[in-house]
Amino acid sequence: MGKTSGPSRSELLKGTLDMLILQTLTMQPLHGYAIAQQIELLSDAVLTVEQGSLYPALERLQKRGWVTSKWGQSPTGRRARYYTLTAAGRRQLGDEISDFDRVLVAINRVMRRA
Amino acid sequence: MWLIDVIRYRLRVLFRPNAHAHELDEEIRFHLSLEAMQREHAARGDLTATDARYAARRRFGNVTNTKEEARQMAGLGFFDTTEQDVRFALRSFRRAPGFTAVAVLTLAVGIGANTAIFSAVNAMLLRPLPFREPERLMDVSLTVPARGDVPAFDNAPWSYPKFAVFRQAQTVFEDVTAWMPFQATVRVGPDAERSTFEYTDSRYLPTLGVRLAMGRNFTPEENASPGGPRVTIITDALWQRRFNADSAVLGRSIVVDGNPFTIVGVLPPGFRGVSGRAELLLAFMTQDQGQLTEPWSHAYSVIARLKPGVTTAFAKTAIRQLGRVVADAYPHPEFKQERWGAIGRELNGTRVDPVVRRSLLVLLGAVGLVLLIACANVANLFLVRAAGRRREIAVRLAVGAGRRRLVRQLLTESVVLSALGGIASLAVAWWGVKILAALNPTTSLRVERAAGMGVVSFESIRLDPAAFAFAAALTIVTGLIFGLVPALQATQPSLSGALRNDSDVSRVSGVRGLTSRNLLAIAEIALAVVLLAGSGLMLRSLGKLLGVNPGFESRGVLTMRFNADVAPDSLPSYYDRLLERLGSIPGVTDVGILDCPPLNGGCSETVIAQRDRPAPVAGTEPAVGVHWVTPRWFTTVGVPLRRGRLFANSDRRGTQKVVLISETAARRYWPGEDPIGRPVSVGQGGFWKDTAFVVGVVGDVRFGTLDSLPKPDVYLSYFQSPRGRMMMFVRTPGDPRSLVQAARREIATLAPGVPLYDVRPMQERVADAMAYARFSALLLATFAVVALALAALGTYGVISFGVSQRRTEIGVRVALGATRGDVLRLVVGQGVGLAIVGGTLGLAGAFATTRVLTSLLYGVEPSDPLTLASIVALLVGAVIVASLIPARRAASVQPADALRG
Repeated sequence: MGKTSGPSRSELLKGTLDMLILQTLTMQPLHGYAIAQQIELLSDAVLTVEQGSLYPALERLQKRGWVTSKWGQSPTGRRARYYTLTAAGRRQLGDEISDFDRVLVAINRVMRRA
Repeated sequence: MWLIDVIRYRLRVLFRPNAHAHELDEEIRFHLSLEAMQREHAARGDLTATDARYAARRRFGNVTNTKEEARQMAGLGFFDTTEQDVRFALRSFRRAPGFTAVAVLTLAVGIGANTAIFSAVNAMLLRPLPFREPERLMDVSLTVPARGDVPAFDNAPWSYPKFAVFRQAQTVFEDVTAWMPFQATVRVGPDAERSTFEYTDSRYLPTLGVRLAMGRNFTPEENASPGGPRVTIITDALWQRRFNADSAVLGRSIVVDGNPFTIVGVLPPGFRGVSGRAELLLAFMTQDQGQLTEPWSHAYSVIARLKPGVTTAFAKTAIRQLGRVVADAYPHPEFKQERWGAIGRELNGTRVDPVVRRSLLVLLGAVGLVLLIACANVANLFLVRAAGRRREIAVRLAVGAGRRRLVRQLLTESVVLSALGGIASLAVAWWGVKILAALNPTTSLRVERAAGMGVVSFESIRLDPAAFAFAAALTIVTGLIFGLVPALQATQPSLSGALRNDSDVSRVSGVRGLTSRNLLAIAEIALAVVLLAGSGLMLRSLGKLLGVNPGFESRGVLTMRFNADVAPDSLPSYYDRLLERLGSIPGVTDVGILDCPPLNGGCSETVIAQRDRPAPVAGTEPAVGVHWVTPRWFTTVGVPLRRGRLFANSDRRGTQKVVLISETAARRYWPGEDPIGRPVSVGQGGFWKDTAFVVGVVGDVRFGTLDSLPKPDVYLSYFQSPRGRMMMFVRTPGDPRSLVQAARREIATLAPGVPLYDVRPMQERVADAMAYARFSALLLATFAVVALALAALGTYGVISFGVSQRRTEIGVRVALGATRGDVLRLVVGQGVGLAIVGGTLGLAGAFATTRVLTSLLYGVEPSDPLTLASIVALLVGAVIVASLIPARRAASVQPADALRG
């Protein structure tokens, strides 16, 4: 692979994190902490990133219009920001999953060949 | 929906950054407290609240960094993928400096030249006239029917009495005004200079919507009747120059042709009348009474402002009807049946000479073609580069990069490249605009009324916001044009092939790429041929113009103007002294005086009658140009005597009146006869009542323009018909400029305080008469040369790439016995093939388009075979040269090397 080409490692992780966030929001709107918990649960603690990196990712997703946020009441009674998946976000998630599948297939193929 | 979310989010980040940051803080605090609570809970009392908080923080990562990162993510990189692509593009350009430099330079020249020409088009043709609501202004002219051999004319000026009838009768205009440019000797204190001014009425400034910077307009009373008070409004330029911008200038006096005028107002900066050249405005009613009362003295231009809601079309109809009213009020005294009329035009339509309009549009088209060729060239470079990046792109496609995403990235690259070109182009444009404004080739055109408004001039060309917008738009469009084909082609999904080894890749990309590249080269050649054909025709036309014999020898002649303000009776002795003084200057070999210079766009015209024949019906007498000369003028400027004699010093007042005629006059009015000794009357200079005799025939002189045939002319002697208006011609074997000082001194002694003006070598006048033709021809030729060079470069690129791709094939051919000559022929043949296809298409294009040049050409047909043939020769030559270099490289291929490859 050319030195200049292809997504960098952080780019890959970023893309995966975005996908995971979108995935956690498919069922219901969640606040940031709950998203972090969900991801840990879903990924079997394999993809344990620093929880903090969630927040820049959420900004990125909002900027692209894939999620929106609204302040609401948390079960503990404190104010919390809840994130909701938009229709565009749902479409994006579909794209990313199929992209991800493609990458997996490609990687598998390469691995088998090697 | 999606867009609304995005916009709402971005607006909030943009306009309420503090609230946004604050919310983030709160959100993170919330997160940390929940995590801490959770940990404390999970540890069942083994963890203090403080330790739980620390643990939560550790799990979270660096809070400050996170906030910073989130803020950056929210705020920066409005188009973050684009930003990334731009960075990537810049990085890749840095790695290919040669490619980048060639591409940026090509684009800079292409876009810069386009911006410069656009600036000219904008200033000359598009930018609104510098008046209030200029779209409501109309030019109103008189129409004159054909009579005898004088053709009909639809752009005639008005006489004041006719204008007064029109103004009285019209109902469609809010305001109408009449004005006339004029020249006079203007004196402020002791300094006299020759200045252009305008006679204007009190409605002039209100009609145009120009507000005075200081003082007042002419009043209706001052405009009421001939012989009004002598008042003037001066321009800002004159105010600055002669009054040092003195605020107490109002009420001061300025002397125009000996009469003092009181300054009542100062015009705003930049406004120099519709003529664009006026130094001051003089009250209309201060003109000669005769000029204001004679219905057949046509001199004034009329501008009218439409009433709100009145359409131009309606006004045009109204003007035609008003023309009949005017004609009824002033029927021609001799030709009762003759119908004069009036015609209205949008003022904007009269802003420039039609030749200027046409040639500017041609230049804009030409420079656009240059840019297209430049685009094709850069696209070619991109294609070559894309072929080299095929593998990289294939890998990216394979790991899941979307094609759209890749096309977008490649397009970003081309737009970034064109943006670099666009930035560099500003330097080219700035330079180009400066040159255009300085060349100002239209001055020489402004001899006739039809030649545009003066207020619109090359001097007003500048790089304005419109030009910048044009350059920016051009930059983006250019980037998309030359980027799209390579981007689409490079990302064509062909995973299997691309991932295989390099030689396969080159074969796959080679076939398709080569076709696109060949097409681009063919397009370049075709466009270059169109440009070459156009410029070739213009150059041939210029050559013909240069070859025109104007009828005189301009080398070594200094010309200068001078108006004697002495009584007519003492003029003859004045001429004697003047000629003697000028003749006594060392180095002067001959001196002559003429009233109106050659190549002036025309001089006085009158009628001639042959007294030995039955008088023709009044009004059908033949027309001639009439000129006043001193006897030695003909020898001074080298106008040959064909028959008879020239004027003699003894042809004076009181002796038999004599005239000289031009060859054309002799041929037209005495065909097959000897005109010498024939009695004639000439309608001017006191030669109508008396009979004069033709004593000589002289060579034709072009008094109109270089490209119009000489008209029949008749010459009178200043000594038999004195007048104050003079242009002096002084001949010297050396540089005529060396005479200027001495001539000024002699004139100053003879007529102290009378300004000498328009002091120029005659050669400069001739050059000026060709300035516009030279300007458009040379500019077009420059574009064509650039186009040819680009096309040759493009062909070179294609062939040279083809050779590098076909190394193996060539190696095989050589191994099988192909000679060096065979290989050369093979490669050059490819170039010639491109030239033939491109050249044929180009010639077809040239035949279809060069007709637009018809009105700009002199003595050349738009389909001139000689021009087109030489262009084909030039093109084939250029292409052979361009393909020879790669051909030689191909011929040196060693089969072993190539096959081992």
